[in-house]
Amino acid sequence: MRTMRRSRGLQRLGALLCLMAVVALVVPLAALGIGAAGTTMTIDQTTGGLETRFTYETATAPGETVLGIDFAFPEGTDTAKATADAVTLVGLQRSNVTVETQAKGTSVKVIFSPSVEPSSTLRVVLHDVLTTYAGGKQTVSGTYTTQTGTHKLPPMTFTQGAPTVSQRIGFWLNRQPLVKTWNSVPILNAFFNPQLIAISIPILFWGWLLSIALIGVAYPVAIPIGLATAFLKMSKLAPVRWIASAYINVIRGTPLFLQIYIAFFGLPLVGIRLPDFPLGVIVLAVNSGAYLAEIFRAGIQSINKGQFEAASSLGMTYAQAMAYVIIPQTVRRVLPTMTSEFILLFKDTALLSAVGIFELMMNAKNSAANTGNVTAYTVAAVYYLMITIPLINWVGKLEQRLALSEGASGSPGTKTRKSGALEGMARMAAPVTADAGTPDDTDGR
Amino acid sequence: MADPIVRIQNLKKAFGDNVVLKDIDMDVQKGEVVVILGPSGSGKSTMLRCINRLEEPTGGHIWFEDIEITSPKTNINEIRERIGMVFQSFNLFPHLTAKDNVMLAQRRVLKRSKDEAERIAEEQLRKVGLGDRIDYFPAQLSGGQQQRVAIARALAMDPHVMLFDEVTSALDPELVRGVLDVMKQLAAGGMTMLVVTHEMGFAREVATRAVFMEGGVIVEQGTPQEVFDHPKSERTQDFLGHIR
Repeated sequence: MRTMRRSRGLQRLGALLCLMAVVALVVPLAALGIGAAGTTMTIDQTTGGLETRFTYETATAPGETVLGIDFAFPEGTDTAKATADAVTLVGLQRSNVTVETQAKGTSVKVIFSPSVEPSSTLRVVLHDVLTTYAGGKQTVSGTYTTQTGTHKLPPMTFTQGAPTVSQRIGFWLNRQPLVKTWNSVPILNAFFNPQLIAISIPILFWGWLLSIALIGVAYPVAIPIGLATAFLKMSKLAPVRWIASAYINVIRGTPLFLQIYIAFFGLPLVGIRLPDFPLGVIVLAVNSGAYLAEIFRAGIQSINKGQFEAASSLGMTYAQAMAYVIIPQTVRRVLPTMTSEFILLFKDTALLSAVGIFELMMNAKNSAANTGNVTAYTVAAVYYLMITIPLINWVGKLEQRLALSEGASGSPGTKTRKSGALEGMARMAAPVTADAGTPDDTDGR
Repeated sequence: MADPIVRIQNLKKAFGDNVVLKDIDMDVQKGEVVVILGPSGSGKSTMLRCINRLEEPTGGHIWFEDIEITSPKTNINEIRERIGMVFQSFNLFPHLTAKDNVMLAQRRVLKRSKDEAERIAEEQLRKVGLGDRIDYFPAQLSGGQQQRVAIARALAMDPHVMLFDEVTSALDPELVRGVLDVMKQLAAGGMTMLVVTHEMGFAREVATRAVFMEGGVIVEQGTPQEVFDHPKSERTQDFLGHIR
């Protein structure tokens, strides 16, 4: 009796040990059976709408021979070009499995030959599955066929981002045969890659807006700086003139690039810390102010002395004569040169990319670096030209109109030459005489 | 005799070493039309320009209506309101229409209302024969028309004296007459005028006094008949001989 009890106790112990052993065995072999726990599905793209490689890893259960798997992808998936290959692992024996692929709508059926034996690890790789554009968590379900019949495949999920409109266009372009031919020409591919054009347009747009914002604030600030400096430069007090000259000469005599570095790297060293945008605006405005000062000074001094005398003889003060007689005429006369200066300054906003301001050039540089292709620079060029070309045309018209209106009271030839000379003078800071300069649009910086 | 409206005493002007006016004395009475003659470089224009201090005299004194304009304490802008000046090169403001040219100083200096300035501008332009050109820009007008706008512009300030600095010299001959006609009218209306000119006919007809200058001094002066028909100095005779 006592023995029996003891033996029953042993039996219980044995059963418990057996159970523990089974659990110990089962846990690492959790992936027993297709789609069971431990099955994984990974993808090689993070954005939807691209040809994606799906890697499906699972294991067959003991006694389960798998003939094929039918993967059902989410709505919008295109499997027409999908191909598959498979590898099995039985113990340490690794073998390739020939796979027949049958694509149908959003699903791909893979049929193994030979069939996958029981208790093997199986890896199926599906190539070129064109995923849906939808972002977020996506579910792959389907069925698998064994010797006993067809069974439901436990659903698997993967996560992807939704592509932007321009990315979709780019992906679509990428698949067009004509685009492929186009891109096979190296120069077209390098500078005018259609997909990258589509993708760059919205990315660079924000940089373009920032460039416009920079100049849109900086230039209106530069105008009063230039006007004030022009008057200081014409002051009767020599020290005042020296200060104005020093500012003009230092700014005009050094590269804007250097000025940007001094402002962005030098000022913080002496405790002056400003956010990038206002600091960028200040550098541009201070730079352009010096050029505008010379443009204004040349413009004011080009106005006939008789105008000032006539205003004075009518009892007008210096300020009144300037405000109502000299400046309005000066503005008309220097408007073309001012516009040219605006164009130059707008292009120079690109230099701010060197200190990490995400304007147009910086965005283009990033895109080019990411893609290893300079198409983004081409797109940036178009963005710059969208501003500069209309302005260049406008300057031409202004100059024509000016030549006409001034020419009406004298010989048109000489007057046109004079206004051209004025522009040259302003840029070169040559002595103010009508014949000192030649029309010169080149940038002296 | 009443106090002169313009009194010039010992006026001297030099540009650096170049002495232009040596020692000028002259009184102008109200209502006089003084024509100033002389070869170029004789200092006629400089003298005229000293009267409203467009040129700063280097010596001497000038009084205008008993105010010494050469004194540093004088606000010259207030004096200039009452001294009209017309230039050889017109000096109209090219960005303004004829009417706006005439209105500008009325509005800004005399602080006249827009309506009043406009009314006076139109009236003055009509008087100089440009009633149909008030909205033209200077570039759209002939030289003679421009010069008449300039006269209207000066007259709109109600000046007590008008200075004319070779106002017909830059004009084509056929345009001179219109300008001289305006000046004759003005003289007939009793305006005090100082006129630097080479127009002998005008001088003879309109001037109450002719002044001959040379080398920065007044060589001879008198009625036009005295100076033109019986010049006393040899230099005057010589100059008039060349002009004819």
